[in-house]
Parts: sequence; structure tokens; C-alpha cells
Amino acid sequence: MNVTNQSKLQQLLKKGVFAVTAECGPPRGANAGVIRKKGEMLRGYADAVNVTDNQTAIVRMSSTAACVHLLQMGLEPVMQMVTRDRNRIALQSDIMGAYSLVFRNSFVIPGDHQTFCSQPDAMNVFDIDSMNLLHMVKTIREEGKDMSGFDLDAPPSMFIGAAANPFADPLDYRIIRLAKKIDAGADFIQTQCVYNLQRFKDWITMASEDGLTEKACILAGVTPLKSARMAEYMAHNVAGIDIPDSVIRRMKGVPGEKAAREGLNICLETIAELRQMHGIHGIHIMAIENEEKVGEIVEAARLMPRPEIAETGVSHA
Amino acid sequence: MIVGEQKKLAEIKEIVAPYRKLLLLGCGTCVKTCFAGGEDEVAALASALRLAFKQDGRDIEIEELTVERQCEDEFIQEAAEAVARNDAILSLACGAGVQDIARRFGNVPVLPGVNTTFIGVLEKPGLFTEECSGCGDCILTTFGGICPITRCAKKLLNGPCGGSREGRCEVNPDTECAWQLIIDRLRALKQLDNLKTYMPAKNWRTSHAGGPRKLFREDLAI
Amino acid sequence: MRNGFKPVITVFHCVKSLGDETDLSALEDNAEIRSIKIPCSSMVKDVFLLRAFEAGADAVVVLVCPEGECRYVDGNIRAKKRVQRVKNLLDEIGIGSERLGIFNMPSHDEAAVSHIIQKTASELMAREPAPAAYGVKL
Repeated sequence: MNVTNQSKLQQLLKKGVFAVTAECGPPRGANAGVIRKKGEMLRGYADAVNVTDNQTAIVRMSSTAACVHLLQMGLEPVMQMVTRDRNRIALQSDIMGAYSLVFRNSFVIPGDHQTFCSQPDAMNVFDIDSMNLLHMVKTIREEGKDMSGFDLDAPPSMFIGAAANPFADPLDYRIIRLAKKIDAGADFIQTQCVYNLQRFKDWITMASEDGLTEKACILAGVTPLKSARMAEYMAHNVAGIDIPDSVIRRMKGVPGEKAAREGLNICLETIAELRQMHGIHGIHIMAIENEEKVGEIVEAARLMPRPEIAETGVSHA
Repeated sequence: MIVGEQKKLAEIKEIVAPYRKLLLLGCGTCVKTCFAGGEDEVAALASALRLAFKQDGRDIEIEELTVERQCEDEFIQEAAEAVARNDAILSLACGAGVQDIARRFGNVPVLPGVNTTFIGVLEKPGLFTEECSGCGDCILTTFGGICPITRCAKKLLNGPCGGSREGRCEVNPDTECAWQLIIDRLRALKQLDNLKTYMPAKNWRTSHAGGPRKLFREDLAI
Repeated sequence: MRNGFKPVITVFHCVKSLGDETDLSALEDNAEIRSIKIPCSSMVKDVFLLRAFEAGADAVVVLVCPEGECRYVDGNIRAKKRVQRVKNLLDEIGIGSERLGIFNMPSHDEAAVSHIIQKTASELMAREPAPAAYGVKL
């Protein structure tokens, strides 16, 4: 793979920098200003920004378009792709389009089922699963062929990410799954947000023992809690989130107007612990609709300034 | 069996309203076993329709007949005389049966009285669950007899996703996570290693996605 | 009260809930009682209950054994489910679910049976007769 074509995120991780990525949700509409405003809040604080793909099955501006807006601002996007809405034909097509637009990072997940949200009447696709999509993006990169075996003209060469959830059921199977994802093509992993440090530590230790932390870069997810109500809601209603009672008690133990600060403190303590763990290559800050907090977190965690990569002139060959 | 549910009375009333003489045709196979369209259901529906039309001050003549299956000509032909006596047929068979009746007796309106849903089993009294979506290329061997195409809402072949909660699917807490079931079953069979193998993208050509399907058996064609 | 209106009540019962020797003649001043004996109350198929209305019943009463005492174990539970289903149907038809009732009867309790039928009859007197029969003869 041509070194000059590598994304900034990939190059930083290769150099051993503790990376910071953040998330940005496109608007429900065509207002590019919303994306640009979020982008400005994240500028200089995140090495790359994930742009979600019709997250929670709510119809939003496409991930591809939103990525273009960020790219035009000089930010590095990570284009998320779900398998819920598009078949293998459309997904391959989008990868090629993305690469031609100079995106270099992609992130692959199945996506929330459409019965949740704004279009429950829709037919879903799920032609391939996220493991197949990882495999496809990797094959395109390594062999220059699409899924039908056709030799591509300027095959895309993406830095590929996948999700991992150390807190979901069934726990014991999670490491087998992580290994499978990395074999299929995941270069980097972003995890579900961490509150239960003990369980996370167990997971990363097991991953390390299997050599997985050498094969892929693991970025631990963090989300600052805003209130005790948010903590309780997430703990009981969102699948795969594990918030220990001790954390909920801390959030409840402070008066309402101080809750956000306490949430931030918990987040910073978590980041400090994560930096000590072997096998963690960075953090992924998920502060959806709370993007202004990202800068505050990165500053307080003493992760500033973010390192720059000298202009390498990404080629369009 | 093929599982279906009888349409609501109000909808059926509207569907049959234009007709004076109605043949109410039941089926003795799948819809009988899911209590949607067998002999008993035909009798009850006929009675309910008569009472309902009486309420409206209207008369309707309903002839009741049930054949063994509405998907085979041999049994459909038994209804020929009854069809000739009536203005329309309300069939309580599955969608395939309704269409086969329409194919044979095309000069009479053939109306559906059942909403056909899925291929499934009777899990316990009163509970029918979907198990097979007819993908045409059965892979139950790998998954210990539990189908990820049908029973996983996202059709994952390399599951699970991160959405299950205590063994329940994120889509519906009444639905078990198919992948939890697969993992438990394979563990019991000491075949959990099956899941280490990468499952490539499915070839959907043998499924309905490849277009409406036919099966031609040369050995049975006389 | 309508003059000359004698409501028709059809009574489905199993052999335990209403014995052969039970004398219902005292009630016949107030209502025409048609009783139908079945081996177990679970046998009240939807069509029997509906046909009873087609044959002219203003109300249908189903007598079953108390829960836990059915000699066929859950016959009375099945009857309860069937009756509920037909009640819903009666609402959809427009006849009204209150015209169909199910009652748990201690075994061979004449007084209890009389009470239920009297009560049903007096409730019927306070309302319209059910829609005329389709013409099905019993």
C-alpha cells in the first residue's frame, strides 16, 4: 500500500501516538451549516471524526456528503457504513466514491434495526453483514478486485474500522468475535463507551493475550454523563452499556447543577486509567449533541496539542 | 406449517359486500393447524357474517365447504360444483391456495380471508413462531439447527451484533436473540468452533431475491 | 319492559355444572330456556355459540365447573378462552359481548343456576331483543 495514501489517523497510530477520535452526527435535513458548526467545535481536538450513517435508523444527511463537508474544512473524516440500508452493490460503489473524494477511513457496523426509528415501515437490506463488509473493503485494498472478482481501476485503499462491545452479551464469546473481525479486515477498533473499568480491563487483557492488540489498534470509547437521569436511562435501556452502581451513585450524589461536571470528572478519570492500560491505542469520544464538550475533555485530559502529519500530498492515482 | 391469521370481520365484510351468494372455502392443512381457515373457522366465520349482515338489514347466502388443500388441483376440483352455484369465493387458505383457486376458477372473483405471514412452528399452545424464510440453501448444519437468516433480525451470518440484552433481541424484548441461542446450542454440542470460521456473504440467488421461484421435478412429470 | 317479550336464553352446560335432574320450569315464566348438554364445557365451539344467536337466542349462557375442578383438567379454561373470543366477535358484529356470559358453577347447584338465569333474564328485559334469527332451526 502506497504510504502517501494513508490517512492521518493511520499514520499517527503507526507512530504510536495515543489517538483521539470523535463522533459527529449529520443533521435531519440538508443544512450543511450544522455539520460545519460541529466540525469547528472538533477542529484541532480530534485526529479524525466519525460521521454516522443514518444512526438509530433515523433519516439524516448521508454520511458521504457530511464527510465531504468536513473534508472541505480540512478535517479528517471516518465514513461510517451500515449494512442495514444498502446492498453489496451500493456499498462497493460508495467505497469507490468515498475514496475518489479522498476519504481514507471507513468504519463498518450492521446498524440499528429500522423498527426503532423514524421509518419503521421500511424494508431493510442486510444483504451482507458487517463482517462481510470488512472482508470486502480489505479485499478491495489488498487484491484490487471487487466482490465479483473484477479488477478495479484505482482500487480504494481504506483504513478500516469496526466496533467492539466488551460489555455486551455473551461476554465469553466477545474475544472470539474480536479476533474474527480483525482477521476479516479490521485495522482499528472503536469500543462501546467505558464506565465499567474492571470489565474493560478483563476484556483488553484477554485480547492482549491472544495477540489481538498487536494486530489492530484499539480505541476505547468514552461518553461524558450529563445527569443522573442519563446514567440511569443508559444503564437500563440501552443494550450493551454497562454502568456500575458506583458510577450511578456518584452522579446521584451531587446536586443537579453540578451533575455535568461530575460526569466530566468521571470521564477524565476513565481516560487517565485507559492511558495506563496496555493495548489501548487511543480514545473515541462519543458526545453526540454534546460536541462542545470534546475540546474541554481533550484539554483537561492533557492530550493537547494534537500532533500534525506533514502534508504528504495524498495522490489520486 | 404456513402460518396466517384470519382478517378482521370488518375487513372481510367489506371485501364480500358486493356479493349475494358466497362460497366460503376452507383448507384442511396449514391454516387448519394454525386455526385460521379450517372447517371450524369456516363455520364460525359464516355464522358471524350472517349475523353481521343481518344487523345491517341485509341478507347473504353463504355456502360452506372445506377441502383438504387448496394448493393441489386434485383437491381443488372437489369444489367445482359449489363454485358454479356462487357469485364469489372467499378463500381462507394461505396466499398460495387463494391464487391456485383463482387459477382454476378464474371466471369467479376469488377473495382472501386470511393474512398469510410465515413458515413456522407451534412453539407452545397459542404461540406460533417464524423459523424458516426459504432461502433455498440451508445452512442449519453450521448453526446447530437454529437459522440466523430467519431468526436474527439482521440476518447476520457472523453474529451476534452488540444489541442483545440478556439474550433478547434489540428489536423486540419478546424475541430471543438467535445468536445467543446458536452459541448456547453449539456449546452444548461442543461445536462452538464452528463460529470461528468466517462465513462469506450469502448468495441470495436461490432465495426470493432472485425472483419468483419454480421447482421442476422431471422424475415426477408424467 | 316490553310487553310480550319473553327473552330466549340458550344455556350450554357440561354434565357436572347442570344435572339432568335439575328442574328449570320455575324460570320459564320469565324466559324461554333452551339447554344444550355437552360432555365438557370446553366443547363450546365458536360456531355453536354463534349459531345459538342465529337460532334466536337473546343471550347465551355457558356454565362451567369451578377452576381446578374440571374432570378433564383444563376444559373450563379452554371454554373461557373460546367464550372471550366469541365475545370479541359479537362486539365486532354489533350484537354486543354482554349477551354472552360464562359462569363457574359448583357441581349440581340448582340454586346457583337459577340465580344466573334469572339475572340474565332480567337484564335482557331491560333491553332490545337480539337481531332476528337467520332461520336456523334447532
